[in-house]
Amino acid sequence: MSEELLRCHPSIIVENTLRTAIALLIILFFWVRSLDMPYIVGLAVPLVVLIAFHYRQWKLTFIRFGETDIVVERKTLFKLKKTIPYSRIASVNINRGVINRLFGTSKLIININSGYNAVKPEASLTFEQRFADRMCEEISRRINCAEMPSFGEEVEPLVQFTTADVILHGLFSVPTYQSILGAFFLANSVIEQYRSTITQAGADLGGSLISLFMFFLLTVLPAVRHMIYYYGFKVYRKGDTIFLQHGLIRLYNISFNISRINAIKVKNTLVSRLLGRSCIEAEVVGIGSDDGRGTTRPLISILKDDAITQRLFVELVPEFIYEGEAEKQPDGARSVLIGRTIIASAVLIAVMAYPSMLAYERFASGGNGIVDAMLPYAFPLLTALAIIAIVYSVSVSLRVREMDTGERLFTFVNGILDRETVVMSYDKVQMVHVIRGPLARRFGVASAKVFLLSSTGTSSMSSGLFREDGLERICEIVMERATRGRR
Amino acid sequence: MNETSVNEERPAEEYRRLNKKCMLSMYINNAITYAILLTAFLLLLTFVPQLQEPAFGPVIMLASAGMVLLLIYLIAGPKIYYDRYRYIITADKVDVRYGIVILRHILVPIERVHQVEVSRGPVNNMLGLANVNITTAGGVATISYLELDEAEKIAERLNDLINRMLRDRE
Repeated sequence: MSEELLRCHPSIIVENTLRTAIALLIILFFWVRSLDMPYIVGLAVPLVVLIAFHYRQWKLTFIRFGETDIVVERKTLFKLKKTIPYSRIASVNINRGVINRLFGTSKLIININSGYNAVKPEASLTFEQRFADRMCEEISRRINCAEMPSFGEEVEPLVQFTTADVILHGLFSVPTYQSILGAFFLANSVIEQYRSTITQAGADLGGSLISLFMFFLLTVLPAVRHMIYYYGFKVYRKGDTIFLQHGLIRLYNISFNISRINAIKVKNTLVSRLLGRSCIEAEVVGIGSDDGRGTTRPLISILKDDAITQRLFVELVPEFIYEGEAEKQPDGARSVLIGRTIIASAVLIAVMAYPSMLAYERFASGGNGIVDAMLPYAFPLLTALAIIAIVYSVSVSLRVREMDTGERLFTFVNGILDRETVVMSYDKVQMVHVIRGPLARRFGVASAKVFLLSSTGTSSMSSGLFREDGLERICEIVMERATRGRR
Repeated sequence: MNETSVNEERPAEEYRRLNKKCMLSMYINNAITYAILLTAFLLLLTFVPQLQEPAFGPVIMLASAGMVLLLIYLIAGPKIYYDRYRYIITADKVDVRYGIVILRHILVPIERVHQVEVSRGPVNNMLGLANVNITTAGGVATISYLELDEAEKIAERLNDLINRMLRDRE
């Protein structure tokens, strides 16, 4: 490592200016009525100020890769000196956006192992591509204390992920409840269109467009985002490091040490389960990036056939495999869940009774078409559907929810429509809550909430209803291992 | 399975209880909360004429019943909270048990504690009470309504334990 003071690549001025200028242009687009001289000046002045500001910021920001730490120093009006010791760095990654590709640069993203800074990287530095790659390699070597393969090396991935896999992942990894809500908005949009165009009943066309927009927002947009983000997905493991590469517009090169993984989740949505596909998500700290993707947990496998996912699990994260026998929720849980169903249904009926009567009186005169004929019964129908959904979720919960406590690891299996199996390490547990409501106390069961450090700051995993001593066992093992580790 | 078997295995004297002043603090806080809610409710009834229409009668009745239930909860809650609150700090862990309707058992290994903070709101300040907020990388656990001296002692003790642990590690 050299001790000399470096500056980021000047393209950072363009990148930062563009980001703010686009926001400025959008505001002006809605505000400016004509392209008269005063408006052009009004547009040009802030743009020049912006460029000058970012130029000064670039000129006065220095980076030093020292022997023990990285120092980022900004000598502008708002001074900043950030020292990042190598020993505290959790991961170092490389991102390449469109501007980076145009200028032949890369963004070096440095994350530390901290809950508070989990979402935003500690430093995001733009350098000429080759230099960034070299620094990434150097820093990785220092933090892992071993020879590290670089992203540039040709490594045969464990499994080939095709474009079709990425498309299927985009389509079917959207949570089922979100898809159902999207479908509801789509149906509403179609009905409104039908009423306004076919029956000429004067339905609200604006409502139809809003519904269509909501459908787009809830279903289409996340699917397209996933397809763009995970395009060209590759995963491999070298030594104790997992490497991920993907992205269509922005290229993501992510690497993290296996010891940074706090939990592994095998997940599937309703449709992906029907297709026999599941994906693997890792709860890793310190892989945030500054483009908002820091809020996303990394997938180490996108939706792929269950058998292949299992193979990937074994080959990528064997540390999270253990022999165990999962425990189903006991009889007490059945009684609690049935009790909760009865109470929830009774409250729902009580709350919906009066609006149902009002709706019946209001729409009893009827109207044109099936929709108008259904309106008087809409609330009772919705109530009945909600009660069916509650009963269904209870029956599925009894069938699906499991828990298992091993010596090193423990597992929660959760989910009604979308399922997830979470394997956690006791050594990564930060805090445990054992929770007992009045019904649960009556039937001798409890649920647990386990708090972990995660890529989004903190996260908690909840269990189903199990015998309290089983859940307290988790607390005991966490304590036992923490004490033993200290000795 | 006996629901409290694990609790019963532990000698009760190990756990510490709160000072009775905590109930007063909770009553004052609850009274302020309820007064704000009641004022908002009455203002809505007075200044929104639509709410006086007969169609809204059942809704108003439901909301009034909710206000009565809330009042009962706010009156009965502090006593139950005080009776159930237990905490213990050992060399290894912070263990807190509390709850009014839903009971919680919180366990924080000392090993995971990052920061300890003593905080006081205006009511607690008036009564000489304080909360100890124990921050881990996974969230914050709080020991509430402690006497100020006790809170300071706990914070100091936790800091000592953490420092000793860090020294041992070196």
